[in-house]
Amino acid sequence: MSDLQATLPAGPVRRPASAKRWLVRLAIAVLLLLPPVFSNDYVQYVVNLIVVYALVAVGFNVVLGYLGQLAFANAAFFGIGAYTCGISMVHLGLPFWAALVPTGIVSLAAGALVGLPALRLKGYYLAIVTLVLGELMRWSYIHGDVLTAGSSGLGIPPATAAGFTFGTEDEKYYLFLLVAAVMIWATNNIIRSRIGRSWVAIRENELATAALGMSPAVGKVTAFAWSGFVVGIAGALFAILIGRIAPESFNLHQLLLHFAIVMIGGLGSILGSILGAIVLTAAPEVLRNFPGMEEIVFSLLLIGVLLFMPRGLQGVLVGWFPRLRERLYRE
Amino acid sequence: MFVQLILSGVAQGSIYALVALGMTALFRATTIVNFGHGEFFMGGAFVLYVMINVVGLPFLPGALLAIVVMFLVGMTIERVLIRPMGLAPHIALAMMTVAFSFLFRGIARAFWGREVLPMPAVFSFPPIDVAGVIITTQDLLITGMTLFFVVLFFIFFQRTNLGRIAQAASANPRGASLVGINVNLFHGTMWGVAAGLGAIAGILVAPITLLYPDMGALILIKAFAAMTLGGFGNLGGAVVGGLLIGILEQLSGGYLSTALIDIFAYLVIIAVLLIRPAGLFGIRESQRV
Repeated sequence: MSDLQATLPAGPVRRPASAKRWLVRLAIAVLLLLPPVFSNDYVQYVVNLIVVYALVAVGFNVVLGYLGQLAFANAAFFGIGAYTCGISMVHLGLPFWAALVPTGIVSLAAGALVGLPALRLKGYYLAIVTLVLGELMRWSYIHGDVLTAGSSGLGIPPATAAGFTFGTEDEKYYLFLLVAAVMIWATNNIIRSRIGRSWVAIRENELATAALGMSPAVGKVTAFAWSGFVVGIAGALFAILIGRIAPESFNLHQLLLHFAIVMIGGLGSILGSILGAIVLTAAPEVLRNFPGMEEIVFSLLLIGVLLFMPRGLQGVLVGWFPRLRERLYRE
Repeated sequence: MFVQLILSGVAQGSIYALVALGMTALFRATTIVNFGHGEFFMGGAFVLYVMINVVGLPFLPGALLAIVVMFLVGMTIERVLIRPMGLAPHIALAMMTVAFSFLFRGIARAFWGREVLPMPAVFSFPPIDVAGVIITTQDLLITGMTLFFVVLFFIFFQRTNLGRIAQAASANPRGASLVGINVNLFHGTMWGVAAGLGAIAGILVAPITLLYPDMGALILIKAFAAMTLGGFGNLGGAVVGGLLIGILEQLSGGYLSTALIDIFAYLVIIAVLLIRPAGLFGIRESQRV
């Protein structure tokens, strides 16, 4: 009896972090803090954009990669977050950190609301409804001009906290890094929790999930809600970053960018989403002088990923460094 | 005013019906929902523009050539992008159609930039005045051509031998290939036909609308609305749904608010999918366990 007990681990195994692992973590943290030292304003702006899109992609990946549902409401969540934050700051006079509260609540609710039709609608139907929802939101930004200032766009005041103003790109970077790090860390933990595993189970086989006693309905609504929340917060950062949000910022083009980042980075991989954001956010800045090139490059990359590398960049990386495989796929 | 709105609604709805018919036929044949179908519509209009303004052809040969070009584009897509994916899950196939839709949009934008192109007017007959109701020639042409193609399409599918083969191949691809039907060729042809139907719709509206690379996105949603309203996958339903959407859109614009024209189709999609996902003529799907 006592022998048997000794062989059974009490709960999940937690390996003590070795000195080496702490060194690696420290190195990453230092690297993340460094960019403002070396960049000029424009480069820093692009780096900030990468942070925002990394967060967007992590949020989108929850629905697309982990829950495995084809839903196109992501640009809508992004816009809802940006506009809620903007409206709270402009019309309610809240500072940025306080505006994050209504932003979080509204985008969480928007996510859950989109999750509800997902209970009834499968596959294409869900894709169509969510696509329509994005366009509907864009229409309401244009026509709700009392709050949103219509097509001319809503000017966003700079973020402040305790008398300090995040005015320059460098200052915004540290703010964004903090918010994004917390959100990505939380997402990473949720995905490894019971609820996160039910998302993956639903992706693999919804009926079997239900048969195992996990509710697909709860799984879907929570996944959509969390996805909406993360993307909505990213929208708030986006509003702060560009200083003026217009309905056109949340069109199908925006959706393509999100979609391409997640797909090319790798479905169902947080590291992949971050990689995708790094690779693809810089691209539009390079290609902006050639109309249409951005779409051509992104779609060719997407086609390449769909045909030849189903796991995206993350899969390629794992192929090159087999040591990573264990680290990424381990529980 | 009521009759006038109905008439322009029918003309508008004919376009939706034509696009939705192509999408439904493709869906029935291959079980793929084509998110790139709007780009067939846009492609038809743009190729026609090139044929007339760059090559210098007259309208009719230009239009025929544009349809042929788009038919070949459709077949190429099937061969190069869809067939290699084999038995990939539906979501991956839908993603592929999203990818090529943006590819076409990008190509159009690369050539035309951010311009909005007017098409030279092709027909300039005076509008016909029937007891106070004004009918434009273009509307008549659109409605007439749509009717013609829809009837042609149904005769082909229901009455000809080739149509029966097509039905067999879409009902049971494996069985069809066992009795010697070339299912791959059939799928390729259906992609071609779908692209051709989309192109015809684009060609019909080209003379009365402005051309821009994003024109397909809007029509795609309208066609989705037509398909959902008529019952997803129902050929006749797609046509009826398209006409209904066109008419209701005009009526809501005329009597309620013009801003509603833009989102009427969106509201129809959401309402139908939430209340009765099978649409008007669809059969409720039951899940196989």
